[in-house]
Amino acid sequence: MITGVRTKSYTVALAGQPNTGKSTVFNRLTGAKQHVGNWPGKTVEKKMGFYDYDGNKYNIVDLPGTYSLTANSMEERITRDYLIKENPDVIIVMADAAQLERTLYLLAEIRTLAVPVVLALNMMDIAEGQGKKIDVEILEMSAGVPVVPIAAAIGRGFERLLALVAKTVKTGRSPEKNIYGNSDFIREYQKLKTLISGKIPSPYTEEWIAVKLIENDNEAVGIVKENVSLSDFEKVRSCMERIPDGILLAADSRYNWIQEVLSMALDNSETDKRERKHSGFDRAATHPVWGKLIAVGIMVISFAAAMIIAIPLMSALQAVLPFISLSLREFFSDAPVWIGSLFADGLLPGIFVALCMLSYIFGVYIVFGVLEDVGYLARLAYIFDRSMSRLGLHGKSFMPLLMSFGCNIAGVTGTRVIDSWRQRMVTLVLVSIIPCLALWAVVSFMGMIFFGPGMPLVIISLLLVMVLYLVLTSVLLRKTVLKGESTGLIMELPPYHKPNWKTILSYVWVQIKGFLKRAVTLITVITIFIWALSYQPDGNIENSILASIGRFFDPLSGLMGLDWKLFIALVAAIVAKEASLSVLAVLYGIGQGCMSITSLLIPGSGGFEEASLIGSLAHSISPASALAFIFAFFFSIPCIGTIATINSETRSLGWTAGCSLYYTLISFIAGVLAYRAGLIIF
Amino acid sequence: MCTLDLLKTGETGRIIRLKGGKHFISRITAMGFTPETKIKMISNRGRGPIIVFLRDTMVALGRGETLKISVKAGAV
Repeated sequence: MITGVRTKSYTVALAGQPNTGKSTVFNRLTGAKQHVGNWPGKTVEKKMGFYDYDGNKYNIVDLPGTYSLTANSMEERITRDYLIKENPDVIIVMADAAQLERTLYLLAEIRTLAVPVVLALNMMDIAEGQGKKIDVEILEMSAGVPVVPIAAAIGRGFERLLALVAKTVKTGRSPEKNIYGNSDFIREYQKLKTLISGKIPSPYTEEWIAVKLIENDNEAVGIVKENVSLSDFEKVRSCMERIPDGILLAADSRYNWIQEVLSMALDNSETDKRERKHSGFDRAATHPVWGKLIAVGIMVISFAAAMIIAIPLMSALQAVLPFISLSLREFFSDAPVWIGSLFADGLLPGIFVALCMLSYIFGVYIVFGVLEDVGYLARLAYIFDRSMSRLGLHGKSFMPLLMSFGCNIAGVTGTRVIDSWRQRMVTLVLVSIIPCLALWAVVSFMGMIFFGPGMPLVIISLLLVMVLYLVLTSVLLRKTVLKGESTGLIMELPPYHKPNWKTILSYVWVQIKGFLKRAVTLITVITIFIWALSYQPDGNIENSILASIGRFFDPLSGLMGLDWKLFIALVAAIVAKEASLSVLAVLYGIGQGCMSITSLLIPGSGGFEEASLIGSLAHSISPASALAFIFAFFFSIPCIGTIATINSETRSLGWTAGCSLYYTLISFIAGVLAYRAGLIIF
Repeated sequence: MCTLDLLKTGETGRIIRLKGGKHFISRITAMGFTPETKIKMISNRGRGPIIVFLRDTMVALGRGETLKISVKAGAV
């Protein structure tokens, strides 16, 4: 049956300051009908989705959370460009009803654009609980925008939101643009507005441009310069020069507007008596001593939780693998041997390693997603701000460094929270110096064989060298390629709230998808490459190209006291850190003959007994060489998954190659020095 | 009048002046810091970052940033 109703399609932009519940609203509105990409040429996520209402289709674009629309950060620039240039049919601006005075700030900026706006007052339940009384009708009148109260976390108010969006799309009216401010501001504002009157091309508005001129905004100045006469532009310039602290006055004018709007609509009289307290837990969580103890406790639990999530996934993989491997060989039994080996020893282990990493980062992301969502990560950044400042960074760098102990890949993507590009890059380089869990497994195995009771000493010296390395690298970067003034911590401590699983899972899914896209192919390609280098039909690895390469580098590895076998084990760590052990097993003649060392990436496939490997290693490697190996391994280049992530996060081959070279060089130096030290000690 | 770092835990005051580059000013104002704003020190331990409460919001600031903000202490 033909209904005869033509459906229309509208675009809805979703904007709001961080922590106003934007993702919750986005997930509620779109359900599963969403997809995630990147903003063109940026590493910032672009989430899009749609919903149907009244027979029409509404496409939603989730804009990055920003506190304002200056062009300071990538997020701000994206949000601003989108709102002005992409011309959505309506913008839903989110505000937190419990923190109205500040969260309305973004609305105060957006309302001067030429786009219809709906204000969604989120967390009404919390505001009510705090005794705040908000009169929505008065707020609508005084703010000049349609307002809908909602409580996204408990799913309240969505029907009204949808209805109001549909209504606003039809009227297509943008907000009134009355401007408040102190007398200096208003005087210059009026002058500027007169000067540019009638000359500003759409989609810009005169109000937006005039205020942005006062803020000395480059884009606004450029537009005015193009569109007014030279003499008028001179006048514009002199207006701007009369108010050098324009940014401050413009911000002040926005808060003036907010206060004007709230003076009638918000009844705060009850809340003054029960002012939001610095609650008992939060006081402890931000205490320099207790806070750190709590943090350590939460970290231990977090990593345990991440492992509890990851290990069953990996065991399940390991369980099915021999079967798949066998079937592959059978399937290719009629083809030349190397083809079967390519699939069973090259491709399969590559995919296995990628999936293992996936389980790791899945665990790490879930745990950090929860900590972020409940509001705890901001506290973590706060208490470690002072320690981080010794590295020339601020508190926000702490989280990516911490995630890195779980998995370097998670740490590298975690640097996105840092708003200044320079500090983000310093953090990104430091993150991959942190030893991940897989690396510790190899280090402790080797350490126990050679140093037994002396192991704690080895670990302490590794950690001390690591701290030194972190500090020196940071200094080096900030003195050379990343020179410039560093800004310190400016961070909202959002109120704690219950975890919202939908938001967390959508965050985890986005991260996982990103990893799958960039790393899996690369890991597979590199694995196949190494497979080719070490492929030997007779199973004797000593005859492989890889072995010749290892022998070729003998003069260099000799400086670290490593023979070609240890050297190859070091190289194998590029695919995955844990691979080194199985490689050692085969090279030291414990494992069964294998066609290619990549087949050893699958645990157990080498078929070695730990005890005999221990015996053989202890017998044939000197303590000094073992120490050199541990140091070179500890500081070796991160795995290929991390390198791929560095590349996709920096979007620069230069940085990727530069970092890789730097890590390799340091690893070599660490190995040489450790060997020399070892020769003296043992 | 004094810089924000000298406000003790529990004390209130009013922001008088903000100094710093364009980047700093635009970030700090978007967080709610403008002249005349009421501000309460939630945690100041004499070193390391501080926590203040203003415009319904808790904000953590590095010690370096507090030196760029002058306040007038006293009940508001």
